[in-house]
Amino acid sequence: MRHVTVENLMDYLEGQCSDVEKSTLESHVASCTECSGLKQEFQVLITRLREDASFEPPAELVQWGIDLFQPVVRPQGAASGLRKYIASLVFDTYEQPMLAGMRRVGAPPRQLLFRAGDVDVDVKIESMEANDRITLIGQVLSSAAKFFDNTPVKLESHGIVRYRTRTNLVGEFSFDEVPKDTYHLSVDLPEGQITLFCVHRGNS
Amino acid sequence: MEIQETPLVPSSRHNNSYTDRTDPELVSMCLNGDVAAWEALVRRYRRLIYSVPRRFGFNKQDSADVFQSVCLKLIENLHHLKDDTRLGGWLVITSSRTCLNLMASRQREPDTVGLEFDDRLDPERNVEELRLYVEEQQEIRDSVNELPGRCRALIDMLYLDANSPSYQEISEIIGMPLGSIGSNRARCLEKLRKIIRDRGIK
Repeated sequence: MRHVTVENLMDYLEGQCSDVEKSTLESHVASCTECSGLKQEFQVLITRLREDASFEPPAELVQWGIDLFQPVVRPQGAASGLRKYIASLVFDTYEQPMLAGMRRVGAPPRQLLFRAGDVDVDVKIESMEANDRITLIGQVLSSAAKFFDNTPVKLESHGIVRYRTRTNLVGEFSFDEVPKDTYHLSVDLPEGQITLFCVHRGNS
Repeated sequence: MEIQETPLVPSSRHNNSYTDRTDPELVSMCLNGDVAAWEALVRRYRRLIYSVPRRFGFNKQDSADVFQSVCLKLIENLHHLKDDTRLGGWLVITSSRTCLNLMASRQREPDTVGLEFDDRLDPERNVEELRLYVEEQQEIRDSVNELPGRCRALIDMLYLDANSPSYQEISEIIGMPLGSIGSNRARCLEKLRKIIRDRGIK
């Protein structure tokens, strides 16, 4: 008895064979364990491949994800060897579960803590509902009990540095009533530049 | 003086040198500011991330919200993931948690109008089961990417292209005689089957 070929099997599974070929194949598969197993295996494979096509996200959504990543290039003439660090988000009040029975009224300040190595950047974001602006207040802290004073801090959106400031004696900084937008925040330390991606998202 | 940002590596140059990189390699390249490496990661896992909310029964709008949240979390956690060879597993868990958080936040606001879930979460498909399914689906995708170029292109167009091109279109695009698509399909699927078996996927 001749076993089915993969090509015949695929013609059958795709509905591309004649009634005679279909009948012959079905008859053989019904009595052949090996070919029955092969048919099932390819049936599952084709199903899983087709399912995958249905999980394709919209192209603009994928591009949004790609466009999230916009590292800052050093200005020309800047010293070489500047290291860049991407800070990790370790705490976000928006990620904390609400207490049972609590309802959110208005937009409470959001507290975020980012960490890069032994440097923490604490950020509080307050939303001004009246004029669609936000205020970011932060502090750059070191686990070595060192203060980062007079340190440049930048707020960037869409590839452009929008606002600059410097930290005070105890590493604090603020950006008052800036327009709501998706911002990345960068802190220029002697050890390197720390970037906080999407410290604020424009629609939140 | 404002500084204009430009990518260190143009993201439009998406070539094999990135698609062949492992996850830890791509993450390290991202941490060094390589935009194309980030694009490769997003493209590699776009379906995995998007499939989780879709399998939870979320509509496309909510699934898009989950997708965006997970991309943000991935960027924020790159530093923690640079040695992680199982980025897919982390993405599934993160995507699942984001879905559950979104559902929980909606339920906690009973006066929110316009709840837009197409289907309720299937109580019989728990998160662990979903994780196994989604990870296996990613293994199948990765197996397809291991196929030789022409085979990969053929399988992509036959089964993974949402536009469902005809055999005639496939023949013209790949440069394969129309009459040979059937036999090549069989040959490529057999190769894929072997790759999947070698990966230990049942």
